[in-house]
Amino acid sequence: MSLSGELVPAALLVILAAACLLDRHLRRACLVFIAFALLMALAWWRLGAPWLALVEAVLGALLTGTALFHGLGHLGARSPLPLRDHARRPRHQATARWLAALAWLALAAAAVWGLLGGGELSVPSEVMRRPLLATGLAIMALGLWAFAHHLHLLRRLLAFNVLGSGVFLLLAGLAGPTVEVQGLILVGLVVALVGSVLGAALLRRLHALDGRVSLGGGAGDDR
Amino acid sequence: MSGGLLLLATLGTSLLTAVLIFLLPERAFRARTGLNLGAALIKLSLVAWMVWGLSRGRGYAVEFPVLEGLAFVLRADALGIMFAGLSSLLWLFTTVYAIGYLEDSPNRKRFFGFFSLCVASTLGISLAGNLFTFLVFYELLTLSTYPLVVHRGTSKALAAGKVYLRFTLTAGLVLMIGMVALHVLAGDIRFGQREILAEFGPEDRLLLVGLFWVLIAGFGVKAALVPLHGWLPRAMVAPAPVSALLHAVAVVKAGAFGIVRLVYDVYGIELSAELGLLYGLVAVASVTILFGSLRALAQQELKPRLAYSTVSQVAYIVLGIGLFGPLGTIAALSHLLHQGLMKITLFFCAGNYAEELGIHRIDELDGAGRRMPLTSLAFSVGALGMIGVPPVVGFLSKWYLGTGAIQAGMPWVIAVLVASSLLNAAYFLPILGRLWFRPGPDHGVGAWPEERCLGRLETHAWLLVPTLATALFSLLAGMLAGMPFSPLEWASRVVNAEYLP
Amino acid sequence: MSVPLDPSLSVEAAVLWLSLLAPLPLGLVAWRFPPRRMLPVLLAGAPLPLVTLWLLSRLAVDGGLEGAWSLGGLLLHWRLDALAGLLLLLTQLLLLASAAYAVGHRRAIAVAERDFAGFWPLLGGLAAALGLIWVAADLLTLYAALELMGLCAVGMMLLPGTAQALTAGMRYLLYALVGSLAWLLGVALLLGAWGRLDLAGLAADAEPGAVTGIAMALLAAGLLLKAAIFPLHGWLVPVHASAWTPVSALHGALVVKASFFILMQLWQRLVPEALAAAWLLGGLGSLAILWGGLQAWRASELKQVVAWSTVGQLGYLMLAFPLLAGTSAAVATLAWQATWLQLAGHALAKAAMFMAAGNLVLAVGQSRLGDLAGTSRWLPLSLMTFGIAAVTLMGLPPSAGFTAKWLLLQAAILAGQWPWVVVLVAGTLLTVAYVFRVLRCALVEDAPRREVRPVPGGMDLIALMLALAALALGLGAEWPLALLREGGLP
Repeated sequence: MSLSGELVPAALLVILAAACLLDRHLRRACLVFIAFALLMALAWWRLGAPWLALVEAVLGALLTGTALFHGLGHLGARSPLPLRDHARRPRHQATARWLAALAWLALAAAAVWGLLGGGELSVPSEVMRRPLLATGLAIMALGLWAFAHHLHLLRRLLAFNVLGSGVFLLLAGLAGPTVEVQGLILVGLVVALVGSVLGAALLRRLHALDGRVSLGGGAGDDR
Repeated sequence: MSGGLLLLATLGTSLLTAVLIFLLPERAFRARTGLNLGAALIKLSLVAWMVWGLSRGRGYAVEFPVLEGLAFVLRADALGIMFAGLSSLLWLFTTVYAIGYLEDSPNRKRFFGFFSLCVASTLGISLAGNLFTFLVFYELLTLSTYPLVVHRGTSKALAAGKVYLRFTLTAGLVLMIGMVALHVLAGDIRFGQREILAEFGPEDRLLLVGLFWVLIAGFGVKAALVPLHGWLPRAMVAPAPVSALLHAVAVVKAGAFGIVRLVYDVYGIELSAELGLLYGLVAVASVTILFGSLRALAQQELKPRLAYSTVSQVAYIVLGIGLFGPLGTIAALSHLLHQGLMKITLFFCAGNYAEELGIHRIDELDGAGRRMPLTSLAFSVGALGMIGVPPVVGFLSKWYLGTGAIQAGMPWVIAVLVASSLLNAAYFLPILGRLWFRPGPDHGVGAWPEERCLGRLETHAWLLVPTLATALFSLLAGMLAGMPFSPLEWASRVVNAEYLP
Repeated sequence: MSVPLDPSLSVEAAVLWLSLLAPLPLGLVAWRFPPRRMLPVLLAGAPLPLVTLWLLSRLAVDGGLEGAWSLGGLLLHWRLDALAGLLLLLTQLLLLASAAYAVGHRRAIAVAERDFAGFWPLLGGLAAALGLIWVAADLLTLYAALELMGLCAVGMMLLPGTAQALTAGMRYLLYALVGSLAWLLGVALLLGAWGRLDLAGLAADAEPGAVTGIAMALLAAGLLLKAAIFPLHGWLVPVHASAWTPVSALHGALVVKASFFILMQLWQRLVPEALAAAWLLGGLGSLAILWGGLQAWRASELKQVVAWSTVGQLGYLMLAFPLLAGTSAAVATLAWQATWLQLAGHALAKAAMFMAAGNLVLAVGQSRLGDLAGTSRWLPLSLMTFGIAAVTLMGLPPSAGFTAKWLLLQAAILAGQWPWVVVLVAGTLLTVAYVFRVLRCALVEDAPRREVRPVPGGMDLIALMLALAALALGLGAEWPLALLREGGLP
């Protein structure tokens, strides 16, 4: 596998993540997310972790996608959510959340930089893993931004899933596709799935109860 | 019965009583009364047994570790058993009184439950063998008296409870910090191991002095030393038996007893004198004595006047502690008991006047001696004792304080004593005058605020009997002071055995 | 990986794992056949703490148990030392009490059996997760257990189904998920740098440095978020106030503590000497104590008072970090004992307090403090329980809170770290203020008599037992503390 051969899927992943998080049309965003997850599965495959690829495809793409669509209410006929998110966040809100997101990103970037630069990695860095790290950081940045910025709960769930994928990529990039990494990612995928299912179900219940799609103002003081 | 078991049984009597009372339903009046009286009698006899045993040279101690290098220690020594004897004797009378006083009022279960807990804490304080154990019961006492202070549940009572907690719990914290610091410095000091602190070199002396005053500040709140006395007059909203308990036995005495323990058993009187701590104590006590008396003079109601009188009288104990020498020590220890007997009598009387005739203000007492001769007689005994008229015990306290002052080389203390006695006379004699020599409603002048005619005697027998009993004890303790097991004799025994400097 | 694999599973290990995983089938059975009475629940759960007691007695004889599971090339490490055993015992007792309480609670709030049944498997999952957290010795097991615990906790929070509970639960879910990602990132960095996940190996290999520091910061951020340490406590109060009483009791008593436990384990192994960071954590704890106390003092509803009090009390635990970092062995031993004693005392007392508060609210039918007037006469037992639990929270004798505070003060004075003494004093006074504010409301006598609907006696009894246990732990602290001292610091 050449470096350029890696760059194209990496760039595609980032583009899909951005598209998924930026789109105000929710159904389209969910569809893009499924595509993103499938591409992630492909990435695992190419990294030599076929089982992980399978799990990613089933849990990440199929089941999470189903859960998200269920959250939108487009699988059953009852009171679907509005298709577009029109909410705009007031300017001066959740400063602490932004700061925390920035701190997170800065810490991660600094640590990756230190590991690569100082040659401290336990498994020597191969050329092909650098794009993985860069992609992971970029996707994480997108996820963090979206999580801090969006109000719509479905979009926050999407952001969380994307952020999680970014962390997984970083994990694989740092330590290689070892058995420990696969175990961690496996647990992470299951957690993300359960979280998404719970979140989507909650969203539907909340919408049915009093028609809202976001948490009320003053939603905590962090992240 | 082995020594440790006897101690635990004594403590357990009141604890178990508290638990059983909480378990009994509110309406089980007879069972509760029986339980209360039975427990009080059992405890009194157990303590009497220990007094007898101690005088025969037996030892009573039990301990178990709580932390590394820190134990929970119960130990009956002569000093502790003295306080224990006082509290169990007065508990008996107060229980009888409270049963009569609270007849037909709500929440009696809660009252007697916490009442028992309160007495258990007092007993624990007297039997504690180190500062840690002392603190445990000292704080338990605070907690168990709070529901008693706010018993009436009125906004005034609740406000008083708030003030009470603010003072006592803050003091408890101060005390805890002082004790922990002392523990860090010197380890677990058992009461009586005076040599531990005495061996510290001159470089630690300043620290020891500082810790002493921190601990005194902690004890001083309960002992109502000026300027830490603010809670005491306010706590007067509590029912009369509680006031009696607070003032004569439990709370105030716990503070004074803590100071006694600190000076004699932790620092040791010689080290205290060497560090110059006693001058400070005498100064604080003198100020408190005079201030309390002056404030008492200004009160128009009976209970607040008695409250300020307590402030002043408890400071006599601290004054005695501050006088270096056996006579001062005898004065301090015996006054611990004497003041309890006399003050509880006075509060019982105040409660009787309030219950029977609805009297709260002093100017309403005119001619009450004719309507309630026995109560008024008891009041007179207590008041004369407070002034220091022989043969009531108060005279002995003042006598020993005076001679102790000369022995300690502080003759100016006698001036304080004289001034205070004059002030005592100035605020008690007018009351006696009103009781006996002014014409009142029974002479056909005016009317009682709220006459209730409880019982066939001048008031309810449950109220009258304990009043007379404590008055009698105050008289007897004075007249038979030379007999064995009298408070004075026991105090001299403690001094001879342990404290002779 | 050089850790030897125990070829034959010893009896103790087998018993331990059986008792760790037993709650899962028990939960499923209870889901299928919901218990209607407290006694069967107590009987079914009672063997677990007995087993743990037996294990503790074995531990005292032959030191800690440890081993590893091999899972397709993956080694999962576990160990049972005195601390883990004691925490396991505490967990089992509290879970048992909550389970029994929940039976009565369902009857008292008149929820259909079917709607309540979901509680049981979640409780089983929570129990298994907590047990795993105490014994886990590698980051992967910890991660899995932490997530299982978090998701079960979220599920339990959602059970009431009210809009309030759902909103609070949703916020909790989002926070928990993000917190777990922060944790995962930290794990990724550690794995990348040192190539291993087992705690013992990391403690031996990992050198202090920028990467370890950053990894620890991310791990700590995730855990502090889950442990609701100031200023990341925003989610805690609404969640506690809207959940069912046994759920809030368990959550306040155990779930937040588990995150603290993991943080302490990692901290002691990875960055034991990080002074500035430890003081930062201590500072956060101090702020938590003050802020939580103030908010509890100002809260107008009973359950909110209790929930804010959790925020404040968690701060005391954080004081352990500065007292353990770079101090003498004597100070560290004192602080170590103080922390776990405080944790245990608070867990028992907080569960008791939630239950007592829940009983009061249920019986009165109102949740505002002002509506409690006169309850001292009509509901003396519930109020008494609240009061006894409060004694521990206030740190007054003879409770576990008092003994723990004594140890903390002793450690702080011995180390010369005076700020914590001031914080302890202020925190105690604040606790006294908010506790007695509640009691004062309940002691008002001149209020009109209202209808009270006493809760089943068993519910009061369970709460009282827990409160008394917290009290008894004060003077009976020597047994667990001696075990802890023998176990030593990690």
